[in-house]
Amino acid sequence: MDVALSKNGARVLRAFFVLVVVFLYAPIVILLIFSFNKSQVPAFPLSGFTFQWYRDFFENSDLRGALETSAIVASLTSVGAVLLGILASIALTRRQFRAKPLVSALLLSPLVIPYVVFGISLLLLFHTLGIGNGIPTVFIGHTVITLPYTILVLVPRLEQLDIALEEAAFDLGAGRLRTFLLITLPLILPAILSAFLIAFTTSFDEYAVASFVIGTRVTFPIYLYSALRFPSELPQVIAVAVVVLVVSLIVIVGAEVGRRVAERRFAD
Amino acid sequence: MGRGEGVLRRRFNLTTPSLLGLPLAWLGVFFLLPIAFVALYSFDVYTLYPGAHGFTLAGWRATFHEPIYLRLFWKSVKMSLTVSAIIVLLAYPLAYYLALSGTKRKYILLLLLIAPFLTSYLLRVLAWKVILGDQGVINTFLFWTGVRSPGHPLSQLLYSRFAVMLVLGYIWLPFVALPIFVSLESLDRSLLEAASDLGASRLQAFRRVTLPLSLPGIFAAFLFVFIPTLGEFVTPSLVGGASGYMYGNQIVDLFGTGFPDWETGSVLALFLLVVVAVLTIVFSRFLQPRQVASG
Repeated sequence: MDVALSKNGARVLRAFFVLVVVFLYAPIVILLIFSFNKSQVPAFPLSGFTFQWYRDFFENSDLRGALETSAIVASLTSVGAVLLGILASIALTRRQFRAKPLVSALLLSPLVIPYVVFGISLLLLFHTLGIGNGIPTVFIGHTVITLPYTILVLVPRLEQLDIALEEAAFDLGAGRLRTFLLITLPLILPAILSAFLIAFTTSFDEYAVASFVIGTRVTFPIYLYSALRFPSELPQVIAVAVVVLVVSLIVIVGAEVGRRVAERRFAD
Repeated sequence: MGRGEGVLRRRFNLTTPSLLGLPLAWLGVFFLLPIAFVALYSFDVYTLYPGAHGFTLAGWRATFHEPIYLRLFWKSVKMSLTVSAIIVLLAYPLAYYLALSGTKRKYILLLLLIAPFLTSYLLRVLAWKVILGDQGVINTFLFWTGVRSPGHPLSQLLYSRFAVMLVLGYIWLPFVALPIFVSLESLDRSLLEAASDLGASRLQAFRRVTLPLSLPGIFAAFLFVFIPTLGEFVTPSLVGGASGYMYGNQIVDLFGTGFPDWETGSVLALFLLVVVAVLTIVFSRFLQPRQVASG
């Protein structure tokens, strides 16, 4: 007899699980269906099949520009956050210092700050310093909010590593930097890649903080938000939504599977 | 090379400031300093407008004498509490199924559950806007099938408190399952076997063993939703209308165009921050992020 769940209990829970998964994916599927619908308004009955909205979106230079801006911001952010995250994670896992609990609390605190509060704080800061809004200000905001995610990915990986490997390299005369580049870095590479990916996708999708410090060159989420007010743009937005959602689902699943495979290989 | 242990440790130690310098400086200038500006602004120590100013509690007093702000705060607390409680209740059986049913594909199923959370937030809100509107998917489906006449759509679906809570629940549900799953997954099954051997039924074993041991996961899950939804402003601004307006929207509006009032806005923002900080500190033992990250 299974102590946690009866046969019928398992069946009920499985049915509930399926139901929730359907609920979670249904809105995405509905967008997918309406992205090919002929009518301007996403409404029943369906009025015929078309690729027009996808074509419109590929030809919409504002939209392409916004995607490009987001790609730039997300690239800068992920590089910056991962670099800061590596430095902080090494200090947290490889060094002893008295203020460690305080430092780690500070490093992780952007996780819990309400974005509206952080957004207006940055707005006030840049206003005071006379720094104009633009790509650099969004980059600054995004590195702050993604830094804790990179640390959360990197620290467990660094803790798993056998510290004897690094000590051996150090004893054999490799400097700290060489020890890091030749021993530590290759071993934590999968974690660095997932940290990079998390920072990139978070930044690419971030609206709340960006909305306070964005300049005239808008990012993709900012563009989307404003496009939602114009019904004529809705069909294209739905088409973009489908592309972005499907691509991100594929990347997420691919990355997770890749990470598990890589870590299993390293573990052997 | 005969390096002593002490020398080795010292050389390792030497670099701590250089490792932490950049990340801490970054957070100091771009995270702590801006928050300090908001605090100073709320006490009128600092302001962007010319004129005499100095430390005063007048802004705080004025803000909290105005009942609309506190009322709005409680409304937001109630909405977030309701959403958090409902989705924790929904997520628990999901996590239980994944962790304890012995299914072989639990990690694949977990990924299936969580993947939507990792996709675009704004686009998932957009999907609901398309679905819930007066001329949206649900209503036109009802017209089309003749359940309702086109003149009488279900107009409470969009731009309502219900819409905000539905969408917030939809967005956070997958994420909430994660900490509960982690706490159930780490549960020692031999405890359940022992309970069963001693004559406990499954329900008794659940109430006396499983549930108490998964409480940290439940608390963590609850806070992981409650904290971000309390200050939410994007979802309510898209699907909330007037009745779904939340505390976060008020802060945004006070800093926005029209009749900006940065001082009141700073007071409200700092108040929210203090509430969230207190919650985080009080419940910090449940918020071990490492527990979640390793899931």
